Amino acid sequence: MKRLLLFFVLLFPLMVWAGEPGFGARPYALSVLGEYSYNTVWGHHGNLDVQALLPFNPHFEMEAKLQLSTANVYTGVVQFRPKFELPVGEMFIETNVYYKALARNRISDITAGLGVGYRMDYVSVTLGVFARVMDDWDRDWHTNDTYVVEPFNLLYRLEVFCRPQSNPWNLSFLFSNVDDFQMERMWQPLFGINGWCDVADHWRLIFGVQCKPTGMFHLDATFYGATARFGFSYRF
Amino acid sequence: MKKSFLYIALLLMFTACGNNEDTTLDMAGMFSPNGPTITTRFAQSMHYNDSVGEIHLDMGADDYTVYACTDSHITRKSHRNLDYFMHTYEDAQGPKLALHFGDLIDAQKNFPCADSVLRIGGRAKEDTLFLSVGNHDVYFKQWEIYRSYFKTSVYWFDTRNGDKPLDLFICLDTSEGTLGPDQMNWLRDVLANKSQEGYRRIIVFTHTHVWKLDGSQGHTSNYATEETYELCSLLSKYGVEFMWSGHQHSRQSVIFKGVNFLVLDSTKDSEPGTAYATIDMGEHVIFHYHDYPKE
Repeated sequence: MKRLLLFFVLLFPLMVWAGEPGFGARPYALSVLGEYSYNTVWGHHGNLDVQALLPFNPHFEMEAKLQLSTANVYTGVVQFRPKFELPVGEMFIETNVYYKALARNRISDITAGLGVGYRMDYVSVTLGVFARVMDDWDRDWHTNDTYVVEPFNLLYRLEVFCRPQSNPWNLSFLFSNVDDFQMERMWQPLFGINGWCDVADHWRLIFGVQCKPTGMFHLDATFYGATARFGFSYRF
Repeated sequence: MKKSFLYIALLLMFTACGNNEDTTLDMAGMFSPNGPTITTRFAQSMHYNDSVGEIHLDMGADDYTVYACTDSHITRKSHRNLDYFMHTYEDAQGPKLALHFGDLIDAQKNFPCADSVLRIGGRAKEDTLFLSVGNHDVYFKQWEIYRSYFKTSVYWFDTRNGDKPLDLFICLDTSEGTLGPDQMNWLRDVLANKSQEGYRRIIVFTHTHVWKLDGSQGHTSNYATEETYELCSLLSKYGVEFMWSGHQHSRQSVIFKGVNFLVLDSTKDSEPGTAYATIDMGEHVIFHYHDYPKE
């Protein structure tokens, strides 16, 4: 515990006095996206995403996200991201908390993750760990029923871009077990293609598709789900 | 250095994908299905089930014993623990049945050996040993071989004392880490209908475990999260008392939403800490774990 505290104490001056991030200060942004999604369990469903990017200073940004799904699932996400410029590229620390209210199943799912990331013009990599707690909304405190903790899961994210990340348009290929609204178990990777295009001074078009197979690490992979998303971002 | 690394990686890949009898892992399955997917296996299982009709085991008493083991991973050269389990089961007195939660074999071409150890032809002979299919059982496109011995991977049977219904057992095929939409719908229907028939308890057994509670499951994958939630909520809704499984090779017990999720130790000869369970089924359910004798 003392070592952890020392780590964060040492981290603070780095956050405050580190040089300008190599990718430029990102502007405040508000994004709204619509998603069509299918998986073999929930079937066809649609999602509405609202996302806010809050870069408090060049070395620290926060993201808040909300997803409402017609599958009767509601997700809230908060991310804190300290960033440090390196001679080549940028290092960041990703701190995530996801809360999923599964009204259809009367279950809540909270995941909290901590990762270290590094990004250059064409590549972004994050590696970390996360823990999950699942609880039953109707849990009877007078029985042996319990909440379930999965304390250790690997978090990984590799994204490769076609253009430098500061480009007004881009296309990227993603391999990860986390995305904007889910942290999957480490053996359930997600494959995605994401893109953006600045269409006016403040407006950015965002789009992406994602595929989620299952059974890859059962060595018997099969299709499980897919998502297509489209929306706009207003950059202040 | 790079060349050496590449050489070793390719060697490992080709060794794993080869046609060697003792090859354990089918790496090609990481990117494409190992033969028929769950949709096909489910349809074939239903077709077989329809042709043989329902299975009701008359135990002749309210109390009986379930012998359960999992992950025997037998090969032609190594099946000591499964032999022991079968002899113990066959020698036992009183009403009984046996369950195996999958990964019966370890490598290719071992089903004839498994059949000689189990000494059954599956449901076709109306035996009281019931199997669930595991991921190792379908590697290298072996589903058709599994099917030729054991006929079906998705089914239910019940135990009775005369006309009095006792317990309902439902076997699921989760050998590829998912139930698939058809099997999930079938499970919903079976539970909705059967939960009204006055069974003492309902038990679901399958290969893949539900939770990843600690590092002991580092090497085994399980369900996508949506499927975990849905499965828990479905089993809870219809009062399923137990879900028994294997796959992770270490014992685990969790009670969530009123369902007891139990995972058994493995039966694989080469592993430490192997065990099987005898389960007293009566008014109460009592578990006894038994270590396999050391060689």
